[in-house]
Amino acid sequence: MDLFLQTLANALIQSGTYALASAGLALAVGVLHIVNFAHGEFLMVGAFVAYWLSVLAGIDPIVSLVPAGAVMFAAGGVIYQASIRRVLLAPELNALLLTFGIGITLQNLAVLAFGATPRVVHTAYQLTAVTLGPVSVGVAPLITLVVSVTLLAGMYAVLYRTGIGKSIRAVAQNRTGAHLVGLDVDRIYLITFGIASALAAIAGAMVLVRIGASPHMGFGFVLKAFAIIVMAGLGNLTGVLWASLVLATAEAFVRTYVPGGGGAAEAVFFLLIFFTLVWRSWRAA
Amino acid sequence: MRWVGPAALVVALLVPLAPAGGYQQYVVQVATFVLINAAVALAWDIQARTGQLSLASAAFFGLGAYAYTMAALRGVPLPVAFLLGPLVAGAVSLGLGVVTLRLQGLYFAIATLAFAEVVKVVFKELPLDLTGGAVGLTAPPLLGGHQTGLYYLGLGVLLLVVAASLAVRHTRLHYAFTAIRQGELTARVLGVRVVRTKLLAFVMSAALTGMVGAYATSRLFFVIPEDTFGIGLSVTALATAIFGGVYTTAGPVLGAIILRILEEGLRLVLREGYLAVYGVILMLVILYLPGGLVSLWNRRSRDAAGGG
Repeated sequence: MDLFLQTLANALIQSGTYALASAGLALAVGVLHIVNFAHGEFLMVGAFVAYWLSVLAGIDPIVSLVPAGAVMFAAGGVIYQASIRRVLLAPELNALLLTFGIGITLQNLAVLAFGATPRVVHTAYQLTAVTLGPVSVGVAPLITLVVSVTLLAGMYAVLYRTGIGKSIRAVAQNRTGAHLVGLDVDRIYLITFGIASALAAIAGAMVLVRIGASPHMGFGFVLKAFAIIVMAGLGNLTGVLWASLVLATAEAFVRTYVPGGGGAAEAVFFLLIFFTLVWRSWRAA
Repeated sequence: MRWVGPAALVVALLVPLAPAGGYQQYVVQVATFVLINAAVALAWDIQARTGQLSLASAAFFGLGAYAYTMAALRGVPLPVAFLLGPLVAGAVSLGLGVVTLRLQGLYFAIATLAFAEVVKVVFKELPLDLTGGAVGLTAPPLLGGHQTGLYYLGLGVLLLVVAASLAVRHTRLHYAFTAIRQGELTARVLGVRVVRTKLLAFVMSAALTGMVGAYATSRLFFVIPEDTFGIGLSVTALATAIFGGVYTTAGPVLGAIILRILEEGLRLVLREGYLAVYGVILMLVILYLPGGLVSLWNRRSRDAAGGG
């Protein structure tokens, strides 16, 4: 029973990281209909900003969420202005490959600048854990979960309670209609892409605390994030939470209860997505 | 432009005879990798013409590679083992296609990506004496590993893919593929058997990719799950096709020649991080030359590919 509860706790904690890494991607896909292959590299940039702030200025990575997010918000805006906005009306494939090019470029610039060796930070709370009855949870993963839930709730509040949020939802639903009623579609896209980029960077700072930073860290996350937003249904933010939870739970239980399940857990994630998609398509037909 | 194809073929045939001094082996090696990249990219392009964005190239490449290696290690004659590559990849793609080809756009892309990742893990986790686990297997070389011989075999493999591409291009299939890409509903109304045609394109592409996998393994002499099934191969395939010019026969081949040579050159200059330049070039092509490189020398062909 204790093992069961511990596994459940691990799953819940891990789902926080997944949801955080996927939220920005879900926003970009839902509003701009852009599949951002560079999302993982935005995450990587956030991790390195937090890393350098920690090394050079002694700032805790958790505090660095704010500057990391701000840097990537600005960088995302610049990238949108310089490239993304020019392929919005082109075939899906072009946008996909453009962001892929952005991703390769960022990744290799990071290799040139920092080398391929992973970097880690040391914080006081990294090795501590809190114990709740039979369950023990690391403080760093717990903070990640709290940040993740807070940000997603905040994003939900912005989208449903504020003027800019309403504009974003309007543009997501119907670009032409929104344009006709006088919304500046291009500006809303710019802001949305900036927010999505900032969310990636914040996820990166949290991953830095838990695992570390390296130029190649992004790709694994972006693969899983794609899978999660597709399972959630494109652009469905609440669905991202559920999909993250389901997948993290499946992974955690296979890892705990299947002998030698460490490797198989990786496959369970994608197997689940595969069958969800196939099941959905056959039911719809 | 009818002379371009034959001229390219003559140049390709002459590569091992080029006066490259002490670098002869290196030139043939790079040229061989150009052939492999071109064949995978063109095979990807064939199914892309039906509007399906597949990210499973690596799965079929890997299945072909493992089918060849596992059969050859068990004493199956090498030419037969080689043929198992396309057969296994084609058979698996038939099953995969039947269950996934109803999916649209990104959903199809992710389903194929998920499939490739699962296959990779399965090959890593199967019993060691079967697949060699995470370390992989050593593959017996075709033609005794003779480099020039293998180069010509690679050229033969690429020519087969080119032949398949031209066959699609110059038959009624071309209209069926294009119609489906531009709108499935309209295609159905026009009498195209949509699912059957998509399946044909998918299986054809997968079998060709499996053949390239078997060939590449006989050239590389090993299979490793992380590399042989790596998502990088799928992404390179579509990047190469789009860079050169999608929905054409010449585009993916041209893309492979330029990108591979560029990559080799950059690797010599910058030992690490050289792919940054590759990324920038990719971005520039998509922003300023969305029809790919082939649209430079033949604007009409670009229009025909993009619009019709």
